[in-house]
Amino acid sequence: MKRRRSITREATLALILLIILVFLSLTTSFFSQSGLYSFMLDVSPTIVAAIALGMVIFTGNIDISAGTISGFVAYTAGALVKAGVPMIVFVPAAITVGTLLAGLNGFITVKFKVPSIVVTLAMNMVHIGFYATFLPQSGWIENLGPRFTWFGRGRIFDLIPYTFVVAIVVAVIAMLVMRYSRFGKELYAVGGNRQSAIYSGINPDATVMKVFLVEGFLIGISALLRAMTRNEVMPSVFVGRELFFISAALVGGISIFGGSGKIIGAVMGAALVYLLSIAMIYYGFQDYYQFALQGIIILIAVFITVADFSKIRKRFGRRTRLEVAENE
Amino acid sequence: MDNKNVLEIEGVDKHFPGVQALDDVSIDLRHGEIHAVCGENGAGKSTLMKIICGVYQPDRGTMMLNGEPLVVSNPNDAYSRGIAIIYQESSLFPDLTVLENIFMGHEIRKSVLPFLKVLKIIDYPAMRKQAGAVFERLGMDIDLDAVVSTLGVATKQMVEIAKALTFESQILILDEPTAALTSNEVDTLFETIRKLRDEGRSMLYISHRLDEVFLIADRVTVYRDGQYISTADVKDVTKDRLVSWMVGRTLTNLYPKENVDIGEVVFEVRDISQEDLLKNVSFSLRKGEILGISGLAGAGRTELAQAICGLTKPDKGEIFLNGKRTRISDYRRTLEQGIAYITEDRQTYGLILPMTLKVNITHSVLRQITNSLGIVDRGKETEITDRFVKQLDVRAPNGEFIVNNLSGGNQQKVSVAKSLAVEPQILILDEPTRGVDVGAKSEIHRIISDLAKAGKSIILISSDLPEILGMCDRVLVMKNGRIAGELSRQELSQERILGMAL
Repeated sequence: MKRRRSITREATLALILLIILVFLSLTTSFFSQSGLYSFMLDVSPTIVAAIALGMVIFTGNIDISAGTISGFVAYTAGALVKAGVPMIVFVPAAITVGTLLAGLNGFITVKFKVPSIVVTLAMNMVHIGFYATFLPQSGWIENLGPRFTWFGRGRIFDLIPYTFVVAIVVAVIAMLVMRYSRFGKELYAVGGNRQSAIYSGINPDATVMKVFLVEGFLIGISALLRAMTRNEVMPSVFVGRELFFISAALVGGISIFGGSGKIIGAVMGAALVYLLSIAMIYYGFQDYYQFALQGIIILIAVFITVADFSKIRKRFGRRTRLEVAENE
Repeated sequence: MDNKNVLEIEGVDKHFPGVQALDDVSIDLRHGEIHAVCGENGAGKSTLMKIICGVYQPDRGTMMLNGEPLVVSNPNDAYSRGIAIIYQESSLFPDLTVLENIFMGHEIRKSVLPFLKVLKIIDYPAMRKQAGAVFERLGMDIDLDAVVSTLGVATKQMVEIAKALTFESQILILDEPTAALTSNEVDTLFETIRKLRDEGRSMLYISHRLDEVFLIADRVTVYRDGQYISTADVKDVTKDRLVSWMVGRTLTNLYPKENVDIGEVVFEVRDISQEDLLKNVSFSLRKGEILGISGLAGAGRTELAQAICGLTKPDKGEIFLNGKRTRISDYRRTLEQGIAYITEDRQTYGLILPMTLKVNITHSVLRQITNSLGIVDRGKETEITDRFVKQLDVRAPNGEFIVNNLSGGNQQKVSVAKSLAVEPQILILDEPTRGVDVGAKSEIHRIISDLAKAGKSIILISSDLPEILGMCDRVLVMKNGRIAGELSRQELSQERILGMAL
């Protein structure tokens, strides 16, 4: 029963996406070369980041500092480009920065047994302070030139951005990892029932550490996908981005309680969040409305996840009966 | 069964901050035997099992497996040495499939590319084949792709067993496997366990239910307060003997029911219906009476209790309190009217485990002990706590003690204390002795009896038939949401109840 429902959850999401797409195509110029191109370009970094956050949330953790980590990644890439470093070096270097910063979050979470929400909230503030205090011009670097932007602005058939291809490849790999790797199973196990995970011979601390490293790696990719479309980098534009990442993951049906959800959900969640803001732009709403809408979407998403959280109701009284009924 | 020992444990000590959990404990397990492990909560059974499985490390002592020293530093070591523990159903991952659960942490993997040996992926077909073979051998038909949360308790238990068998474990440890099962399901489980024994596997069987020990086990070992007490062939001991080993004294009476003059009807329920959970349930309750509600799991007992307490909303029905019709809309109102419900799942709903005794006992009466500014009167708080701790004999050093650190039986007493604090006239107890040891059980029964004697009316919901027989003045038997029959104390017998319940 639950299985059918969880398939329906993703299917419902796909249906909503389809309806919005059709609606936008019929009523606006969305379904044009430029409309599709800009959508794919905008959604790519969020797809990758939503997968990253999704994986962290699977384990019952969260990373509030994903946005500000992105800022460091972008700054590292920009600074290295300015110093004349080739792409083969600055891309891995920038991603490494993301991996290490998220890894630090994971390390503090595991080592000092502090809930990740507290660790990453604090880190978020540390990062913002760091931008302003230690980075020259708060990390603003301009005139990076085509050595930086060629990839971000490149497209196939004059339509599909390279960045979108990267996002899709990341999504496919992530799905394969979740299905076919031991790591993928461990994420669900640790988030679903930590004690049982221990009894199954899984070391939850190691899993949490690993997932933060993977998340940092993906946040690194995500930040580059966004940064490299522009001729300048400014870390502070990434502040608050984590809200989009997290909401995309939650809208995609990943349970904030951990242990439940799908990567494909995060991908579709990212698409949905973007399609809705694009729709609002087309219909001429102002930025403020968009933010309010974003918030409402998160609420609806959380509501859906909670409503789906049948364990709560089941435990509350009807457990025995339901289970007996299902047995028969 | 030969007498070869597969597992020998000697002189194990384990110390936790503040407690000596195990003190020089020993056990030996023979080839192809079911060895029951008994003891009250806190006797050290679980700690010992966790040591065998590598969850904890012993401070001292030796373990030998098939004559060789056994060192298990984590649960995986235990698995690879052929030792598997079957926890209660709760140790499965609800959102994963049966197949994923069985192989969690031990997935079968294969190299995806011959030249890249490190890159291994999970081999679903191989896992499916292996798990399928195990279920077939157990004679069970379970959908490997079913998500575990959709399965019934008994099926989950079978999944746990299948998990252990998939690793060809020689030694199985069953930790209260029947705690959540109905009697039919228990029979199926026992059949499986016997089948496994006949295959030559050895089992350690932990249970609070002594009847089961006599039904299934070959030998039994008893622990008390972290110490080894005795081991015996089951056929050579009596139940009373076991109980006296467990509690360290002879329990005079497990069911200290006293005869009480039963007064007028204080509470009456008429025609309560709720979806298809409850169908036209009517009954009455008298002053000083202990009314039992029996029936199989799923018959609607808990649903009935929750509906009459305002925890859920029935579709129709009337409730009369002291002859007056009353509207029960939510639980707070119910409490104010002098009806208290003590939930079966104290860990989840009954108590705030990480808080102190004082907070737990007084939080249902906070209104009465706060002044007009909303500030809690600390004196009254302590006084109420101390009164009930004393009355119910809760074994805790003081009211500031954290509930989580109490044993199951004492937690249950706190749960009762919390409900008594509101001075209810009617107490609804849902499985009050589930998972508590025999000593605490007897004490809880004494409390129930005392309350009835003091003029309170009690509804006792229980799956434990001896408890129903021993404690109740009158029993309602439920089946499929209806009251299938009513028995007075004189008419009570296990057969009659089962006859109505089945």
